[in-house]
Order: sequence, then structure tokens, then C-alpha cells
Amino acid sequence: MTHSFTETPLSLDEGSMRVGMYDEDFKRFNFNMLILEFILFGIGIWNLVSATGVQDKAQGLYKTQLIWFAVGMILTAVILFMFHYSLLSRLAYVIYFANIILLVLVLAVGKSSLGAKRWVGFGALRIQPSEFMKLSLVICLAKYFETDRTVGGYGLKDMILPTLLMLMPAGLIMLQPDLGTALIIMLTFASMMLFMKIQTKTLAVIIFCGVVAIPTVYKVGLKPYQRQRLVSFIDPMSDPKGSGYNSIQSMIAVGSGELVGKGYRKGTQSQLNFLPEHHTDFIFSVFSEEHGFLGCMILLGLYLAFLLNGMSVAYQSHDKFGILLALGIMTVFFWHIFINMGMVMGLLPIVGVPLPFLSYGGSSLITSILGVAILTNIANKKFMF
Amino acid sequence: MAFLGQEEQVREFQDRFRYLYAILFIGLGLLSSRLVYLQVLRGEQMRHYSEENRIKRVKVAAPRGMIFDRNHKLLIDNRPAFDLEVIPQYLNGYKEKQNVIQMLSKLIHMTPGEIQDVLNRNRDQPTFMPVKIKIDLTRDEVAAVESWKISMPGVEVREEIKRTNVYGELASHLLGYIGEVSPTELPQLNKPTAKYKVGDVVGKFGLEQKLEDIVRGIDGEEIKEVDALGRVKLDKDKGRVLAENTGKAAVPGKNLVLTIDQDLQLAAAKAFGDKIGSMVAINPKNGEILAMMSRPSFDPTEFSRGIPTALWNKLLNNENHPLRDKTIQDHYPPGSTFKLLTAIAGLEEGVINEHTTFNCPGSLRVGNRVYHCHKRGGHGSVNVIGALTQSCDVFFYHVALKLKSIDDLSKWAFALGLGKKTGIALSREVPGLIPTEEWKMKHFNQPWNGGDTVNVAIGQGFVLATVIQLANYYAAVGNGGTVYRPFIVKQIESSDGRVLKEFDPEILSKAPLHQKTVDIVKEGLWGVINTVHGTAAAAKFPVGMNAAGKTGSAQVIRFAADKIMGLKCESLKFLDRHHALFVAFAPVKNPTIAIAIVGEHACHGAYIAPVAREVIKTYLEKYYPDIYGEKVLATAAKDNKSPATFPRGSESDEDVVIPDDGNQGAAPPLPPLPPLPPPKSTTNETTEIREGDE
Repeated sequence: MTHSFTETPLSLDEGSMRVGMYDEDFKRFNFNMLILEFILFGIGIWNLVSATGVQDKAQGLYKTQLIWFAVGMILTAVILFMFHYSLLSRLAYVIYFANIILLVLVLAVGKSSLGAKRWVGFGALRIQPSEFMKLSLVICLAKYFETDRTVGGYGLKDMILPTLLMLMPAGLIMLQPDLGTALIIMLTFASMMLFMKIQTKTLAVIIFCGVVAIPTVYKVGLKPYQRQRLVSFIDPMSDPKGSGYNSIQSMIAVGSGELVGKGYRKGTQSQLNFLPEHHTDFIFSVFSEEHGFLGCMILLGLYLAFLLNGMSVAYQSHDKFGILLALGIMTVFFWHIFINMGMVMGLLPIVGVPLPFLSYGGSSLITSILGVAILTNIANKKFMF
Repeated sequence: MAFLGQEEQVREFQDRFRYLYAILFIGLGLLSSRLVYLQVLRGEQMRHYSEENRIKRVKVAAPRGMIFDRNHKLLIDNRPAFDLEVIPQYLNGYKEKQNVIQMLSKLIHMTPGEIQDVLNRNRDQPTFMPVKIKIDLTRDEVAAVESWKISMPGVEVREEIKRTNVYGELASHLLGYIGEVSPTELPQLNKPTAKYKVGDVVGKFGLEQKLEDIVRGIDGEEIKEVDALGRVKLDKDKGRVLAENTGKAAVPGKNLVLTIDQDLQLAAAKAFGDKIGSMVAINPKNGEILAMMSRPSFDPTEFSRGIPTALWNKLLNNENHPLRDKTIQDHYPPGSTFKLLTAIAGLEEGVINEHTTFNCPGSLRVGNRVYHCHKRGGHGSVNVIGALTQSCDVFFYHVALKLKSIDDLSKWAFALGLGKKTGIALSREVPGLIPTEEWKMKHFNQPWNGGDTVNVAIGQGFVLATVIQLANYYAAVGNGGTVYRPFIVKQIESSDGRVLKEFDPEILSKAPLHQKTVDIVKEGLWGVINTVHGTAAAAKFPVGMNAAGKTGSAQVIRFAADKIMGLKCESLKFLDRHHALFVAFAPVKNPTIAIAIVGEHACHGAYIAPVAREVIKTYLEKYYPDIYGEKVLATAAKDNKSPATFPRGSESDEDVVIPDDGNQGAAPPLPPLPPLPPPKSTTNETTEIREGDE
């Protein structure tokens, strides 16, 4: 494989001696996603220092997060410089089934934490295959839709295969159980499916079935604690010390930040441990408590810039696989951001979904970094052929 | 390596991006507006909630007031107690937990199993909450635990206040005990204003209960910064927001200074030994309670931290009722101690005078029943003085029968404070009973008859009195007829010792007794103690004490008259034996102390009279050392045959010397107490007492 950039590793040192097409190449290179990634991770690690300054089990975990980031950067370099994203198209099903095997392994020999089996260990390394599954599914679906020849919108029959591709990992993840990740998987699939266009009649049938199925799923498909979460979302005060506790404390944290926040490392809700999981799923409440409305709007603005940039990568991609892959990845990011923040602010029920670049968690961070790396790869390979 | 001919589809895809952008902006717009709502519109309220979250108000229990005797000797104190607590959250892992339990078991003398049991019992509570493993560690245990604490995570020694009766079981009925407010008591306690919460301590018996509002302080409050687990952030911890832990100091309760003299209490306790019964000593000049005791007793200190159920049940099921205050809660037939009243009624109503004699052949027939004298052989011809001295039943049968009606007797009983509560500031006092014709009609629907009169004349039948009533009525006779309300709290002081309130004597009534009557009955009572025929001669009071008194006994179960005559009380089963009563005052002309004692199942008043002797002796020696020096009182009535003479007229020395202001407590500095002579072993005296008192 040839790469326009492999010849110009020295262009990074900004020498004025460099002229001509090297410099041109460098200028054309789309750094936007990487820059935004660095800014967001910078804010994330700064915030994590505050969140993990608390005397509890999370103390000092930001160091681990930095190590994961370093690992992510190496992977980024590999993805950017060593191959073309179309390789993913060729390896799509291999990646997909490898990840499925990992998910099965989790259920068979996985390590449990907080009543759920989510990790699988290789020596000292513990990874969460469900996180990677989000990417694997996007790659797989992009591949499937790339080769699929359906025209004029998908009918029920056409949807069977892609739905199966989604249901397999979603089901395995539900079994762990990890409702949040399964939800992301399903939303990502639904988004991509809708993007691929579904026949109006079929869509109506699906929606009707969905409405009918909801009560059944609620009764049968959900574990008691999951049901409890839904109840306490609708009425958090029904059990303020119990299942509604997280939701209430989180809303208090966000709201008490007021306009400019309580100041860095001065958030009482997080520093005094009133917020459970304040370094993972509820990291945004730490940020909003300490930096207030203004801080939140800046962060939200950065995420918006990140998402718009990602979308434009998809938009500008010249091939079907590139568009679908970029789009799928951005869908994953969007749902993470929307569900996580919505949950922290009490707009949505509590489901375990991390906030990209801010939440602590190796697998989640690596997945985000891989996503950005693939996007950057797509962004810079569009002139390749 | 895209597929060829895709261009069209790619363009079609690009068309659909509009929807994606729309969804993106709607989503982030939703989030932004939620932020506006939470942080801008409701920010202030949310900030308030977050403040409430981290500020915890912790109650600081106010120490209850201390209780002193009249000379400021400490009776009830607040002393530190040390408890061992374990916070389970710090016991990580099975091995560490076992290690800690093993170590602890050696240090605090519990088996590992017991410690494990306590931990298991509290398994349901959150792990950050301390579990009390053992209360009241000894000093040695505290030292041991403290020195090994570094290697036992989660182990804490906690200091708490323990309400302590300094003298153990002494005066526990009077002082009372405290306990936790129970949910059932709560509505009653919080009636005017809400002052108590579950878990608060409240006085439950005795003075602790009666003077709860005075002794109880105002609880303070500490404002602390806590984390979500309720753990207090220390000043040095990082991440704290409040500058320092502040609060409101607790206001200690007010102290009580009692009228009790602890030296008298100790003397009484020593003389009482392990007898069952009670004792009250009163100052006849003002109604101050000088000593008060009920036996068997309990240690209120055991109650202050929650009494163990086993101990509580033991106290509850004891057949001698240690939890009852026998001075005010129990009725007794006053027996022969009531003859004083019959004598007074006879003299005042004019049916007898000091020269009137009746012949006692040993019994008297009233109607178709024969009423015996306790002395089978009879007393021969006796006047009122001799009848009191020898406790002649027949004489008083005659006196009572000569009265117009029993109401002529009852009226004097009421005038001297019997038949109604004395009004002492203690709960649970019972009123006693003085029967009248009307009373009998009302309760039995039968007219009064001669047999009733005869029974009442010697304190049997319907008559009932409490020990405090007996003491108060003898005190009233001793001072010439003035009935004071017995009182026990002399002063209320602030916690730093300023006198806030002083209690004055309160006269309840004045019985219109003639001085002559008083002189006559006093001579009779003096004879009980100081003459050879006196029923309490065996108690060997020092002649110089000039005490006057009366023995009495009350049957616990009724025997047929002929049966009782042949039986010696001492040969009965313990619980069937008579209650013994003894009432006395001294010095006879101008008494400064009156004392009533009941010895349950003690058979004869003379057996318990030594208690009175020791209390009076201690009292006189302490407060009137010039008149009642050791020498005077040490002259026991060994040779009672040498004529001890009743001090007649106003030339008697104690009239002149003893100050009449009733303020002996403020007397000049008190000399140290001389060692008490060993109390008489009453069981050895049985041979000397020939006369039952019945």
C-alpha cells in the first residue's frame, strides 16, 4: 500500500526548508478530528484528576487513563500510517466474529463487577469486549450495506440479515447484563438502517410492533434493577435513597454548578462522594458542578464541533463504505454523548453509557480513539484513488 | 477500492445528511436547554440542596445536672464510659477480619465467637456504621486496645457519658434512674412542646424523673461536613469546603443539692445490713428528708446505658421487689406505732387523762369476740404512759371504745398527716388509709362496729400508712403538732455552682395539740426506749441520746388468735413473718430528727431499732458535737436499772442549746465522724425480747 504521508514524516517538525508538495500534503491533511480529540481528552484528564482526587477506590485512576491514552496513540499511528481503511472492508466479518467470540468468552470466563460480567482478562490486561463491539458492528454493517444491492428502501425481508448481525452481539451483551451498551448497539443499528432507508410500510409495521412489544419487554426482558431504574427515572422521588438516589444527586450536582461552577476540585457532590460512579458514567456531573453553565456550554460546543467534523468526513467520503463507516462511527459517538449527558441531567433513565474522552475506562477510551483514528484515516484517504 | 458505479448512490446518501444534521442539532439543543433549566433557572435551589447534603447536624447530648447531698457530697455524677466499636467497612477480607477478631478477643476478654455474633447481628446495617462490640471497657482494656489499635483497622474506642451513682445501690430509689425514651412514652413527654426524640435519655424513676426538666440540659449541635457515607471530614482532610466544624454548645442541666445527709445514709445502710425494708429520717423542724432508703435495692448506673434484659428480669422477679420504693410506694398496717395516735385522740377528746388507768388481764371481750393483748399474762393496771411504754393493747382498746365514734380518732390522724399523701416531690406515692364510719359504709356497705374500733386502736384492721407518713407523723408529734411537707431538694444550682433557687419549708397543717398531751405521750415514747419495761429496751439506745420511739409489727398473713399465741414469729417461714416497725425521734423534748423504719419479715420492732439508733447517733454527733459528744452517746443503756429519768420541764438542756431555726445544714464546719460501734447483731438478741408486740 502506498501512502502519501509515509514519505513525509519530517514534515511534522515544521521546517521552513520544507517546500513543495510535502508542505502541501501536510496542509491538506485533516487534523481536525485529532485536534478535537486531544482537546476533549485534555479536558477529560483534567476533570478526572478532580474526580479521582476523592478518597475512595478511584483515587489516582487518572494515571491509568493516561497510559490507556498512550496505548491509543500508538494504535492511532498504526491505523493512520500503516493501512488504508478499505482493509477494514475486507476484514469486516473477521473482526465482527472475533469480537463475538470475545463476548461469548466474557460470559463463559469473564470477571464480574457490580453484579455484571463485562470483562475478559489477558494477563494483567482487562478489556471490555462490548465496547469494541460497537465499532465492530459499525464496520460489519458498513460492509454489509456496501455490498447489498437493495434498491428503493428496505423491506422486512431485506432487513432480516442485518438485524441478525445486530441481535447477536446485542443479545450477548444483554446477557452480561449491560443494558447501556446493548442500547447503543441497537440505536446505532437503527440509525444506520434508517439512513439506508426503510420502506414506509415496513417502518409503520415495525413501529406498531415496537409499541406493542414495549410492555412485554418491560415485564419479561428487563431485570428488576433495570425496571427500578425506569420507575425512578419517571419519578426519582419515589425512592430518593435507593434507586432514585443517583439521578437526584446527579441533577443536584449539575444544577448546583449554576452559572460559573463551584471551582475546580471544589464540587461538594463529587468530592464528598455523594455521586456514585463519579469517575465513570457520571463524570459529566463532576464537570458541570465545578465549571457551571459556561463550562458546560464550552464542552457541548466542543462535542458539537467534533460531531460536525465527523459528519463532514462522512459527507466528503467518496465511497459507500467510507460514508457508512464514518457515519456509523459518528452515530456511536452521538448516542454516547446524548444518552450519557441526558442521563446525568435527568432527561433519560440511568443506563451505563460512558461519555467519550471524559469517562474513565480503558476499553471505552481505546474504542473512541480507534473511532477517531479510522475517521481521520477516511478523511485523508479520499484523494487516494 | 470502492465499487464502481456507486457515484449515484453516494450522492443519494449525501442528500440524506440533512436529516442527520437535524437530529444532531435537536439532540444537542435538548441537552443545552436542560442545562439552562438545571443550572440557570433552578441553579440556586440545586446549590441549596447540595449544601444540605454535605452539612450534617449532629446532636451533642447535654450532660444532666449532678446531684449532691446537703453538704455537697457528690451522689450522682456523669462519668466517662468507654465502648469498643468496630466499623465493618474497614475489615477487608476474611483473613484480616479474623485477625482483628482474634486480637480483640484477647484484649477485651470476649471469645472470638461472641464478637462474631455481635457483628453478625448487625450485618444488615450499612457497613460504615459502627457496631458496638462491648460497652464499659475497663481502664486496662482501654489501654490495651489503644496500644494495639494501629494494627486493628476499624476498631475504635468511643467515650460516652455514663450516669453514675457514686454510692452504688445507696438511695437509688430516691435518686432514680434514667433510660432511653421509648416510642410509647414519646407523645406524653412531648405534650406541651416537642423536646424529645427516640434515643434521647429521660428520667424514669425517682428524682431523675420528677425533676427531669431541671436536671436535663439543652442538647447542643455540631455542624459537620460529611461525605455520602456519613463520614465526618476532619479539619485536615482535603476536599472539605466548610472552613471548620462548628456548632452550638450543649447547656448542661442544673445541679440539685438535696436535704439528704450522705453520712446518715451510710450509717443507715451499714446498720440495715441485708435486711429488707425501708427507712425515712426527717427533720421535724422543717420537713427536710435527712435520709431515705429502700432495700433491697439496685444500682442505677446499670440502667444508664440500657439495662441488660437478664438483669432487668432478675430485678423484676425478685420476690422482695427491689424496684419498689418501699418508703412511699408500699402500704403497711402501722401496728403499735399507731397507738400514739389513739393516745393523743383519747387525751385530746378528754376520754382519758394521764391518771386514767385500765386493767389489762391479757384480753378484752368486745361483742362476742375476745381481743387479746400481746402479753398473754396481761399488764395489770396501766396508765397511758405505761401503756405506750409497754405497748399494752387492752389499754388502747378501752380508749378507742370510749371515744364517741371512730371519727374522733380519724380526725386526729388526718390532722397529723396520715391518710393522705405527704406531698413529697416523688412520683408513685400512695396515700395510706385512715378509715371513717362513712368510708366503711361506702366501701363495705356495713356500719362501723366495735371490733373495727378495737382493731384500729392498735393500728390493725383497715389502717394503712407508708413509712414516710409514719416518720412525718412522729415528727409532727415531736414538734408539737406542725405537719410539714417532707422535701428533698434543698437548692437548685447552676452547673457552675451558683444557687438558682432555694426551697423553704412548707407547713401543711397544724394539729391543735395541747402541750400537756404532747408531754404525756412523749414520756410514754421515751419509756419505750429508756426504761426496762420499754419494748425497745433491747436496742440499747444511749441514755444521753434521750430518744423517744415506738415499736410495732404488722402481720403479713392472718392467724387465728389462739394459734398466734403459741407461735414464735421467728419460727415461721421467712415470708410469713411479721413486718417490724420502729419509729423514733430525738432528743425527746425538742427533736431534730424523726425516723421511721420498716423491716419486712423482721418480726419485732426492737430488731430494727438499732438502725434508728445508729442514724440518730450519727446525726447528733455530727451536728451537735458539743452536747452529744462521743462520751455521752457511748454510754449505752447497759444498766438500765439505774434510774434514767424523763427530762421534764423547760430546764432540760437541749431546749436551751439546740438552735430552733431548722438550719442545721449551715452549721459550723463538721468534725470528722467517729468510727461507728459495730451494729448489734439482732439475731442474737432474740432471747432478750420476750414480748411480742401484738
